[in-house]
This record gives sequence, structure tokens and C-alpha cells, in this order.
Amino acid sequence: MKWLAQFRKKSPWILHYNAGSCNGCDIEILAALSPRFDLERFGIVNTGNPKQTDIFLVTGPVTFHSRERLVELYSQIPEPKVVVAVGACTSTGGVFRGMYNVEDGIDRYIPVDVYVPGCAASPQLIIDGIVQALSILEKKNKAIEKPFRLFGGIKRIGKKISRLTMAKRIGEEK
Amino acid sequence: MPGAMLLILLPIVATLLLRWFRSEKMQYILLATTVVLLSATALKLYFGSAVLTFHFPHWLELFIVIADLLLLLYFLWQGRRFDRRIITLLAVIQLLLYGWAESVLPEEGGAEVVVDALSTFMFLIINIVGGIIVVYAVRYMSYEEISEEKKRLFIAYLLLFLSVMNAVVVSNSLLLFFFLFEMTTLASYLLIGFRGDETAQKNALKALWMNQIGGVVILLGTLCAIYGYDTTRFDALTGSVGGTLLLCVSLVSMAALVKGASIPFDGWLLGAMVAPTPVSAILHSATMVKIAPWLILKLSPALGGTGVGLLLSTFGGFVFVAASYLALSRTVFKEILGYSTIALLGLMMALAAIGTPETSILTMVLIFFHALSKAMLFMTAGVVEKLHHLKDIEDMKGLIETAPKSARFILFGFVSLTLPPFGLFIVKLFAIEEVSHMLPDHPGLFLLLLSILIGSTLLVLLYFKVTAAILSRPSDIVGLGHEAMPSGFLLPLAILAVLVVFTTIRLAAVQQVADLTLFFVPIAMLVLAPLAYRWMDRFDRVKCYHCGEKESFDAALYYYEPTPKIRVAIYTFFTLLFVSVALTGALS
Amino acid sequence: MTTWFWIVMAPVLGGLVYGGERVLRARMQRRQGPPLLQPFYDMFKLMDKRTLVIHSAHALLGVVHFLVLWITVGAIFFGWNLLYIVFLHLFALIVLVIAGYSVRSVFSQIGANRELLALVAYEPVLLLVTVGFYLYAGSFYIGDILHHSGYLSQMPLLFLALLVILPIKVKKSPFDVVEGHQEIVGGVEVEYSGFFFEFLYMARFLEYIFIYSFVFLFGGADYWLGALLVIGTFILVNLVDNATARVRAADMVKISYLLALLLAGINIVWMLT
Repeated sequence: MKWLAQFRKKSPWILHYNAGSCNGCDIEILAALSPRFDLERFGIVNTGNPKQTDIFLVTGPVTFHSRERLVELYSQIPEPKVVVAVGACTSTGGVFRGMYNVEDGIDRYIPVDVYVPGCAASPQLIIDGIVQALSILEKKNKAIEKPFRLFGGIKRIGKKISRLTMAKRIGEEK
Repeated sequence: MPGAMLLILLPIVATLLLRWFRSEKMQYILLATTVVLLSATALKLYFGSAVLTFHFPHWLELFIVIADLLLLLYFLWQGRRFDRRIITLLAVIQLLLYGWAESVLPEEGGAEVVVDALSTFMFLIINIVGGIIVVYAVRYMSYEEISEEKKRLFIAYLLLFLSVMNAVVVSNSLLLFFFLFEMTTLASYLLIGFRGDETAQKNALKALWMNQIGGVVILLGTLCAIYGYDTTRFDALTGSVGGTLLLCVSLVSMAALVKGASIPFDGWLLGAMVAPTPVSAILHSATMVKIAPWLILKLSPALGGTGVGLLLSTFGGFVFVAASYLALSRTVFKEILGYSTIALLGLMMALAAIGTPETSILTMVLIFFHALSKAMLFMTAGVVEKLHHLKDIEDMKGLIETAPKSARFILFGFVSLTLPPFGLFIVKLFAIEEVSHMLPDHPGLFLLLLSILIGSTLLVLLYFKVTAAILSRPSDIVGLGHEAMPSGFLLPLAILAVLVVFTTIRLAAVQQVADLTLFFVPIAMLVLAPLAYRWMDRFDRVKCYHCGEKESFDAALYYYEPTPKIRVAIYTFFTLLFVSVALTGALS
Repeated sequence: MTTWFWIVMAPVLGGLVYGGERVLRARMQRRQGPPLLQPFYDMFKLMDKRTLVIHSAHALLGVVHFLVLWITVGAIFFGWNLLYIVFLHLFALIVLVIAGYSVRSVFSQIGANRELLALVAYEPVLLLVTVGFYLYAGSFYIGDILHHSGYLSQMPLLFLALLVILPIKVKKSPFDVVEGHQEIVGGVEVEYSGFFFEFLYMARFLEYIFIYSFVFLFGGADYWLGALLVIGTFILVNLVDNATARVRAADMVKISYLLALLLAGINIVWMLT
């Protein structure tokens, strides 16, 4: 299905998740979607539903409570998918780096394809990040991508592949 | 005549024999033989299609008068015993009116009993559907914690009920009809109060006084017929013209509204839920409430095209909407079914009261399919209650996983009540077509048309709300559970399901509307969809989306509770409408 | 033969309408908007995604929903009985509602419930419009309805009633509560993905054709008038969509009954006298 792959970058649908961000980057993402920057001209839709998503936009340094949800949302996105870490906190932990209650960036939990710098990342940078992500998306295949931590494994029950336990609870990790 | 006699007498004989049939196996043999005989006779009469008449000998008339007096005295006693003034009062009024009617009774030649096409059609429903319910009741009662003696008594009541119903639908005399009407009142009183506890007693008494109002209006109608036309015969009355005809007919048809549990009389049928489920099944599907559309059909030659007929049609249409609306606030499965019965009875009476041959046929088809589907639903409700101890639809969530067989019967029941190509859907479709066709000549039918349109969408909302609860599954990573359903439950349900499918195909064949075949395509798709399940294995199974939360969530069902004010307004409106039926009759 | 061609092409036609609508809405907000063929790009992309399902019945009911809708639209092109078409459409929606309820997803269940409420809101009006056509043309068959003209002068209020319920059917503001993308994540379609979401996506195209063909019927024998009405309605609906906020589900039913049903009722009574 090589021919179909070219349409991936013509219709990227995004899911935006706030993993404990200060809302600075979130507002910039929404600004990018607004009529002024008009992300829709690339066919981008903010679905809010992981099951119909191609690009996972994450903001924030991953707080304690957002870990489970981050992995859960990630594992509910069908492949091929790309993850864009928006903003400094999301990429490295930013000003929160080293604090006891945050995780220093999302790449400890899930594979990240594009890092967008900035505090807060400007709409132009975000759009550029998404465009970079699209070229990565085009090259990906449909193999199941796994989170690094809180990964519960993929089970095969009968002939069915179960992704029900792909994300674990925090307490279940050890 | 012997056929109809057999239908009336055989259940009584079976009741008497039941004393000696103590083991369950023997009971099954006896009841199965009885039901097969009854059904065969009903089928033979239905396809025989000859009109038979029968004139009562003197002793039989005397017997009925004495039985009637005893019955009314029994009601009087019950009123005194439980200190219900309204029951005592109504019984006294009936005794006085009955005495008056008997004293001025004219000498006339017409037959008391007439077996016509309508009667043989009703025989089919009463004996086949009612018979299946009686057989089902044996297994159901084995789960009750009461003595063997009482269980047999219960079956005996049901059989007697069938016998009385078979007699009702052939009666052609108003006074004979009054007697049998009171007999069904007695039967429902005994069956509802069967469990003997406080609520059962309360609801039984409620059913008693409400149904007695029906008795009073029948007697008033009879007196009107005697003074106006010197007759107590249905056919002579509906054949007359002019005078106070409409008053007589409207009084008698008010009895139908009571028996059909139309709002404001819905209380008694809902109260019947406290009885064992076979009672609800038999009251709602094959017997009792079906007296209502039968009576209107019987009177329809005099009602068609008159102001009273129009008013009754509108009344029925309004009941269709209001009962569907009231059902939306209920959580108990049987109550939801009960309100949908009241709603559909409203539709039946509305169509019957229009009085054209087309609408009469539509009413009959509606009666038939409603009986099959409702019997199936109520019986399944009983199964779920006894095997899984569930009554509330909130508890029935995911029934398809825990009890796949029962869930499928419930789903099939709902589908056959709403979706094409099943009978009820076809009736609604043709009813809309027919009423729109009549609209230019009878603009008054517009309100009925509007009621049918709104009521049927409300019923869709109701049924699929319940379906929702039953169907929801979190995943299919493991298959459905296994439900062990005793054959005493499974067989009657399966027979009913087969009957629904068979009669639907037959109906479609009879209609010969080529367009209708297109309606079979979607249902075929739904039936064939499971064939693709194996192919579906290739797709990954995943959890439902709950914003990334790991907790499991569940949405509650929606309920639409009318405010107390609206409720009072609805009941007041319908009471006024009920009274205005008689007023319209008197004025026109 | 041409009828069959159009039936096969119906989803494509609907897709173009949907694409055109997205462009139109973007231009109303003074932005460029996606290309006209965007819906088809989305379709091709969805075909190439890994598909996640909750359970088989849920996924397949979505397919059945689409197929029944397609049959409904096919029946319209064949000039079938309008009353039967409305009921066939009802069947398609009930399949969707069952699908929505069949999963333990809160959003899907709320969506299905709202879908039923929407059904209660618009179905009587749609049927009254059908009865109106019957009263004027003397037949339920679309073929016969299209032989007469002058519907607009006889059924102006029915047309207005249709305009009121039209946003419910195409899921536009102020009546987009059924879908509520930011609120209940698309309602019934929330648990569909990849291959199976495609069918729900295409079903939306067919819904456009279904409801706009009612608008077209008001033109009667005058096809140009019908086309003009469709275009005018199309622009009006999108204008209203851009200019209004979402009303609550219960208010949707109230507005539909107090306004649309009343208008339709008055028109029918007027036609009878």
C-alpha cells in the first residue's frame, strides 16, 4: 500500500494532551488552529479522539498523575503515528527539570519523533514541527509501537490481538 | 358450534383434571394436549370461516342471571371486607342497574352467541398465545416458594381465564357480555391478588374498582339500548340508525377504554405487575386488554365516521403518545413493557374507531403481532427474573454477556415491535398511509396522524434505551457466557419467535407490495453480520476511550421524568376526555 | 443505467458536497480552508491505518448503518415511495444507535442517546413534510411528486419547518449537540477507527444527499428551482452554523416541537381547508 502512504501527510489529524503544562504551549497550539494560522488548510483536524489520530501533540513535563493517562492515550492511537513534544518542558523538563514531582520530559515514557523547543513554543514553530512530523509519518509502517515504561505487553488471546493491557497502572509496574 | 363450545369447555375440563395430575411431567402432558387441541380447533374455525349462531336455552339464561348476581354480591362482600367504599358503592350501583335491566328485558329472537370472522380471529390469539403462556407458567411456578396445591390453583386460574375469554369474543348480547366482562374482572382480581401480600391486595382492589366502572357503563349502555331500540344484541344495535344510538355505543365503548387501561385507568394494569409474570404475560398479550380493541371493532359499524368515533380515535392517539412518554421515566422492565402495551392499545383503539374496512384489518394485524411480541417479552422478563434475579433495567446492563439467550429474545422482541419488516412496523406504516389518504375528507383525523408520528418515535426511543442497557459490552476478547435455560422456558419462547417470523413472511406475501421486499434487505444484513466475526479477528482489540483514565466508567440510562404538575395535567386532561366521550354521544 | 451510475457515485457526490462545505465555511471565516478533495484524502489515509475495534458487533453495525443509508439514497434516486424512504432511513439510524449503545463507552452512549433525542425531534416533522407532499401531489412516490410544481406556494411553512430541522440532520450548529466534538468527542463515532470509521465518515456524506433531496423536492417539476433551493439552503445552513452556538439536547427537542412541528401542523391544516 505504498500509494496510500502519500495521503498520510494530506490529512493528519491531531490529538492534543496536556501532561501538566502551564497552559502556555496549549494556548499556542490553539492559536495555530485558529483562523489566523489556519492549520486546516493542510487538512489538519483537532479530533480529540486517540482512535482517529495520526499526530500526538503533548505539552507539559509529565506530572505524577498524568503518567498513566499519557501512556494509555498513546497506546490507544492506531499506527502509524508520530509524537510531537511541544515546548521545553515536554522535551527536557524545562524549568521543572529535576523536581521530585515531574518526569523530565515525555521521552522517558513514549518514543518521541519531533521536539519543538520554546517556552512557550510559538505557533510558527509548532506548525514547523508538525510539518517535520508529517515527513516522518510518511515513512513509518504499521507495526505496533510500544511505550518505554508502564508497558503491560500485547497479548494474543485466541486469534485476536489484545491491546487492552498495553498501558499499566502506576502501582502495577514493578 | 361444537368448535366454539370445545374452546370454552376444554379449558374447564382441563382445570378439573388438573387435580389428578400431580407430577410436573403429567401436568405438561395434560396442558400440552389441551393447548394443541385448543390451537387446532381455533385454526380450524379460523380457516372454516362460516358464521355460526347460537340461541341460549332458558335454563342457561337463568344460570347466567344467578351467576351474575352471585358475582356482584361477591364484589360487594369484598368491598365490605376490605372496607373500600368505592367498591361497595360500584357493586350496589351495578346490582341496581342490573336488576333494572333484567326487569325491562325485551323478548327478542336474535342469537346470544355469534361466531364470526372477528371471533375466530380472536380465538387464534387467545388459544395459541394464551396456551403457550399457560405451558410456560408450569416451569415458572416451579421457582415460586408456595405449596404444590397453590401452584396447580394458579394454572387452573389461567385456564379458566382462557375459557372466559373464548366466551367473551363470541358474545353478541350486551348482558352476556356484561357477565363475562365481570368474570374477567374477577379473574384479574384473583390473579393480581394471588401472592396475598399487602401490595398484591392493594393492587387487586385497585384493579377491581377501576374495572367495575367499565361494568357500570356497560349496564348504562344496555339500558340505553333497551329503551331506545328494544334490543340487547350487538348486531341489532350497531345495525340501527338515528335516535340515541351514539349515546348507547359511546357508553359501551367507554368500557373498552377502562379494560384497555387507557390513561387515566393505567393504574390497574401497572399494578398487575406484582402478580407472577405469567399473569402479566397473559393479561397484556392474549387476553383481557385485548377486549378493548375487540369491543371497539365490534361497535365500529356504528362508530365509523361519527363524532364519537373521531373522539375515540383522537383519544387513542393521545394515549399512544402519553403512555409512551410516561414509560420513559420507568426503570422496572415490566413496567416499561406495561406502558408500551397501554400505548399500543391506544393505537389499536384509535385505528378500530375509524371504522373503515382497511383500518379494521390493520387493527387486527396489530392485535395479532402485539400479542406475539408482548407475550415473548413478558415471558423473557419472567425468565430473567427467575434465573438471574433481575427486574430493573439498570441491573440488566450487559445482559448479552451473562445471559445471551434471554438477551436475544428481548432484542428480538423489541426488533419485532419497531423495525421493518415485522408486523407492527408494517401496521404503523400503512396506518400513516391510510390516515393521510383519508385526511382530505376527514380533516379531524389530523390529530391522530400527528399522534401516530410522535408516538411511534417516542416508542423507538423507549425500546432502544432498554436495548442499550442489554447490549453494552466492554470488549469481545473473551466470548459470551453460557446460559442454561430450562426447556420449559426455551421451547415456548422459541415457538413464539418462530411464529413471529412465519407470520411476518406470510403477511408480506399477502400484502404483495413489491416495495416492501426492500425492507427485508437491512434485516438480512443484521442477521448475516455475525458471519463476518471470524474475519474480524485480524483487528486489534482495544479499550473504550475514557480520556485516558484507567478506571472503568459506565453511563447511566436517560430518564425523562414529568414534573408532578405535568403528571396531574395529563391525568386531568384524560379524565375530562373520558367523560366527554359520553357527552359527545349524548349531544350528537 | 444512469440511475445506477448515480447510486454508485452517491458517496463520491456527497464527499464533494462535504468538501465544498468545509471550503465554504473556511471562506466565511476569511481563511483558506482545506482543498475540495480533502474528504477523499481523509478516506485514503484512514484506509492505511491500523484498525482498532472494541468488539466485532459494534464495528460491523457501523458498516450496516452505511449500507442501509446507501440503499435509502438509492431508493431516492429510483423515485421510490417517500414514506418508505423515511422509515428506511429510520432503520439506518437505529442501527447506528444500537452500535453506539453496544460499547461501554460513556461518550458513545451519550451520543447514542442524543441521536435518539434528535430522532424524536426531527422525525415527526420529516414525516409531516412527506404527508404534505402526499396531500398536494396525491402520491407518496418521488417520481409522481416531481411531476407537479408549485410546492413552495402551497407548503411554505413546511419548507420553513424543514429548514429548522435540517441542521439537526447534518449536525450543524445550533443543533450539533448529537456530535458535540469538543464535548462528547463525536458521540457515536468515538469508538470507531481506521477502516470502520471510514464507513461512518461516508455515511455522513449520504446523510447530506438524503436531507438535501427533501429540499430539492420542493422545486417539483422545476429542477432549476430545486437546485437553486438546495444551493440557497446550503449557504444558509453554513451561515447559521458559523454564527450560532450549540443549544442543549432538551432545548433542541423543544425548539423542534414548538417551532417546526407547529409550522408544519399549521401548513397541513391550511392545506386541508
